[in-house]
Amino acid sequence: MGSRLSLNTETLQQVVTLDPICLDPRTPVREAFERMKEQQRGAVLICREGRLTGIFTERDALALMADAVDLSLPIERVMTPDPVALSERDTVGAAITRMAQGGYRRLPIVDADGRPVGFVKVGSILHFLVDHFPATVYNLPPAPHHSTVAREGA
Amino acid sequence: MICPCCGADNLDGVDDCAECGQSLSDAHLPDPPTVVEQSLLADHVPVLAPQTPVVVAADTPVRDVLRAMVDAGTGCVVVADGNRPVGVFSERDALVRLNTEAPALGGRPVSGFMTAPPETLEPDAKVAFAVQRMAVGGYRHIPIVGAGGELAGIVSVRDILRYLAEKMGGGPAA
Repeated sequence: MGSRLSLNTETLQQVVTLDPICLDPRTPVREAFERMKEQQRGAVLICREGRLTGIFTERDALALMADAVDLSLPIERVMTPDPVALSERDTVGAAITRMAQGGYRRLPIVDADGRPVGFVKVGSILHFLVDHFPATVYNLPPAPHHSTVAREGA
Repeated sequence: MICPCCGADNLDGVDDCAECGQSLSDAHLPDPPTVVEQSLLADHVPVLAPQTPVVVAADTPVRDVLRAMVDAGTGCVVVADGNRPVGVFSERDALVRLNTEAPALGGRPVSGFMTAPPETLEPDAKVAFAVQRMAVGGYRHIPIVGAGGELAGIVSVRDILRYLAEKMGGGPAA
């Protein structure tokens, strides 16, 4: 806290969400739905022999719900193949840039062998920013004319 | 002494603003902030270019709402009574509350699955405040509501990402 906000030097190790759900490409989509709900995840990774091969997000799930698609399909038929992925050594700034460019709200993080390590989620980046704001931010009223009702006692 | 935060005119020599409580001395300030930090504190929500949200009535069948979200390419709709937001329904709500039951539940009104009441922001809120609300609440969309409670737009976390990327690219030491 109170340290300088340095998005170009802080690495994703600061913000990574570990322990991603990894599914086999033949897993029925229904199982992905159920595990995302149970474990409160916005996405699952699809891996072949331990290496990242696809991603399936709640955005993909929404489209399947809207079209009432048969959820017994294997997930490899509806996943996004070969997703953009980052390394833990990439910077928070690099993740922000990639997310802004692609409209992504989460990106998988892989090691040098393409094995999934976790996710960087946009929510974690926002938390990182809030944690590194100067303490004064917390005292700011939301809008300039929004004054406090009463001053706090000393 | 004019408060830099709220603009109130204070007596010379006071330590804290009588209006908003902000410290008027600069002794407490941390290192000079970076471009990103300065921007977050100086800019207000309109710089995020809030979008016009997809709006649905509370009694809309949730199946129609799902369709509207996919067609509009949005992850969130505002459920409103007239122009007053009463809730939001997001793809997260769809995943958690409909999940594999979506076809069976599709005829029910969206009001049964929305998140209510919605978190909202005033149009003149600072960007730092919007970021903090999203981080703390775990929201990815926050409706903007005017002084009369009327819906005036929606800010998404994508707008924030785009803003941050611009600010990082626009300064030497972001």
